[in-house]
Amino acid sequence: MNILEIQNLKKYFATQKAVDDISMNIEQGSIFGLLGPNGAGKTTLIRMITGIFYPDSGNILLKGKKFEPESDAKYIGYMPEERGLYKKMKIGEQALYLARLKGLSKNDAMVKIKDWFKRLEMESWWNKKVEDLSKGMGQKLQFVITVLHEPDLIILDEPFSGLDPVNANLIKDEIYRLAQNGTTIIFSTHRMEQVEEICDKIVLVNKGKKILDGTVDNIKQDFKENLFSIQLERIPENISSSAFEIINVKKVELIVKIHDGFKPNDVLGYFMNQGIGIVSFKEMLPSLNDIFIKLVEGTPTARQFQSMDN
Amino acid sequence: MNKILLIIQREFLTRVRKRTFIIGTILFPLLYLGLIFGTGYIADKTRENLNIAVIDKSGLFNDELFRSVNAGDTLNKIKLVSDNIKGFNESFDSMGYDGYVIIPQNFNWQTGADSNKILVNTKKSFGNGAIDPIEKKLNLLWTKIKHDSLGLTSQKDAILNSSISLKLNNEKNKNADAGIATVIGYVSGFLMYFILLLYGSQVMMGVTEEKTSRIAEVVVSSVKPFQLMIGKIIGIGMVALTQFLIWIACIFIIYNVGKSSGNMGGGASGMVGQIQNVFTSVNLPIVVGCFIFYLLAGFFFYSSLYAAIGSAINEDMREAQSLSFPITMLIIFSIALMTPAIANPSSPVAVWASIIPFSSPIVMMARIPFGVPNTVPWWQLGLSMALLIAGFMFTTWFAARIYRTGILMYGKKPSWKEMIKWAFRK
Repeated sequence: MNILEIQNLKKYFATQKAVDDISMNIEQGSIFGLLGPNGAGKTTLIRMITGIFYPDSGNILLKGKKFEPESDAKYIGYMPEERGLYKKMKIGEQALYLARLKGLSKNDAMVKIKDWFKRLEMESWWNKKVEDLSKGMGQKLQFVITVLHEPDLIILDEPFSGLDPVNANLIKDEIYRLAQNGTTIIFSTHRMEQVEEICDKIVLVNKGKKILDGTVDNIKQDFKENLFSIQLERIPENISSSAFEIINVKKVELIVKIHDGFKPNDVLGYFMNQGIGIVSFKEMLPSLNDIFIKLVEGTPTARQFQSMDN
Repeated sequence: MNKILLIIQREFLTRVRKRTFIIGTILFPLLYLGLIFGTGYIADKTRENLNIAVIDKSGLFNDELFRSVNAGDTLNKIKLVSDNIKGFNESFDSMGYDGYVIIPQNFNWQTGADSNKILVNTKKSFGNGAIDPIEKKLNLLWTKIKHDSLGLTSQKDAILNSSISLKLNNEKNKNADAGIATVIGYVSGFLMYFILLLYGSQVMMGVTEEKTSRIAEVVVSSVKPFQLMIGKIIGIGMVALTQFLIWIACIFIIYNVGKSSGNMGGGASGMVGQIQNVFTSVNLPIVVGCFIFYLLAGFFFYSSLYAAIGSAINEDMREAQSLSFPITMLIIFSIALMTPAIANPSSPVAVWASIIPFSSPIVMMARIPFGVPNTVPWWQLGLSMALLIAGFMFTTWFAARIYRTGILMYGKKPSWKEMIKWAFRK
C-alpha cells in the first residue's frame, strides 16, 4: 500500500521552477531516499508534503486520501535541514509544547516524552535549555521531537549531519526500529553512502524534475557497465579475448569489461584455460555516488535563475 | 483553534515568568513618575540666581525698599550700591555681583526712564528667563514708589490690586475639571505610546527570533503560519494587558489602604485626596474601559505590522530599524498630534486624529478624560472604535500574507515594495 502518492506536483517561484511536474509513490513501511544536488527542489517538494507550501498544481494523497495540511499534521513528522528549537525554552517544556501542537493531549505527550528521553538517555536534560546543549545533543533532541507523536510518515532532511558516529548509529537504529513497526521514512540527502546503506527505494531529482526512480538494487543493475574485478595468482603477459577488454591493471587485480553477448564464465574460462589460478571474481556495480555524479554532471552545480515568461 | 490557544499560552507564560517582566512592572511606574517629577526638579535646581547691584542716580530708591523686596525672594538679590565706587564697572564680579543696573538720573516716578529698557550689564551671558525675577523686584519697588507718591492708603491699594479670575464650568458635568482631564489625557496618551512601541517591538523581535532560530519551519509544519502569528500577537497583547491591570490594581489598593488608614495625615492622605479628586472628576469606568479597548485594538493594529517586518528581516538589527521606521513614525506622529488635541479636545484636528485608525489609540485616549459624551460624542467614539477594528483586521490580513512568505525566506532583506508584492500575490 502506498502511504504517499504524489501526482504531477508543480511549484513555481518568481525566478525558478522549483518543482516541475514530479510524480512518485512511497510504500508504507519503506525507507525512501530523496536525492538531489543542492537546489534541486528537494526542500520545496518536502515543504509541500508537510503542508508548509501549497502546490501550484498537482495532487498529494496521504493514505489514499487528499492531503489536508491542518488535520493531517499529526501523521507527519518533519525534521528540517536547518534545525530549529527555542533556545531559551526548557527542553522538557519545549518537547511537550511541540508535541501538543501536533495534536497530542498533555498526558499522552508526557508519557511519550518520558519514554523517548529514557531510551536515548536524555532524562537529565529536562530542565536544561537548548542553548546549554552541544550541537550533537541538539540534533538528538530534534530527532526525538520529530518522531515523538508517532507519525506514520517521517521526513528527515540530512538527519546525520553534525552527529558523531556513536550518535549517528543510535539514530540509525531508531530509524530501522521505526521502519520495522510500519513507519515510512523519507530521507532527503546528498550523502550517497548513507542512502545505499539505509534506503530501499530512491528518487533522484535535479532542476525540479525527477530523473531517476527505483530500488537501489535495480538502479545499480540499470547503470552497471559489466565491469568485473578478477584477482589472479599471476598476471599473464598478453591477454586478448573477444569476450572482454581490460580497463585497468593493479598488481594482481584486473578490472575487465565484458562485451555484450558474453558471460562472466567466458572470462573465467579464458584464464582457467591458461592455467592461471583465480583468487577472486566479483561484479563491480556502480555506486550511487557514481550514478548521481554521472546524471547530474554537466548541469551547473547551482541552479540558474530562469525567466518565467510562460 | 486549540492550537492557537497553545501558542498564546506559551507566548504569555514565557514572558510573564521572566524576571524582566516583574522588574519592568515595578520599575516602569517609578521611572515614569521619576521622569515627570525629576525633570521638574532638575529644571528648578538649575535655574540661575542673580545677584545684581543697582546704582541709583535718580535718588528715588532707598535701602529700606530693597530690604523689603529681598525678604520675599532670597535667591535673587538686588542691592543698592553707591555710584562713586571707583572702577565698579570693571570689578563688580570680584565683589560678588553678577551684574549691575544703572537707574538713570532722569528716571521719573510717573513715566520711568526715557528709553524703554534699562540695561543689566554683565560679564557672562545669562538665559533670557534669568532676569525675570530681578525685573519683577525692581517693578515692585517702583510700584511702591508710585503708590507712595500718589498718596494711596493700603485700603485703596487693595482695591486697585484686586482682579477677576476665570474657571471653566461644564454645566452638563459639574465635576469636570479640565486640569485633571489634561493630566489624565497626557498620562493615558503617553502610556499608550510606550505600550505600543515597547510591546510592538517585542512582537517584531519574537518573530525574528523564531525565524532565525529556524523553529518557524518546525512549527509551521504543525500549524498554519497565520495561527503562529496571531497566537504570538494575542499572547504578547495579553502580557501588556496584564501589566496594565496590575498597575490599575495597585492604584486601587493604595487608595483603599490610604482611605482605611484614615486621617493619618501627611503624604498618604494627600495622595488619597488627590485620587479621590480624580475619581469624582473623571468617568473612571469609561476611561479604563476605553483604555483597555484602545490598548488591545491599537496593539493588534501596530503589532501585526511589526510581525510582518519581523518575518522579513534576518539577524541584522539594522534591517529591523530601517524597515520598521515608517511604522514607528506613525506612532511618533500620533504622539505629536496628542498635544494640540489635549489643548483643544474638540478641534477638528483632535476629532479626526481620534477617528482615523493609526492615530486614534493615542489621540482618542487623550480626549476621553475630557468627558464622554460631552467632549467626545458617542458617534465619534463608536466610529473611532469601528474604524480601528476594521483597521486592525486589515493590517492583520496584510501582515499575515507577508509573514507566511517572509518567515521561510532567507537571504537578502526585502524592500517594502517587495513585501507589498508578497501580500497581494495569490
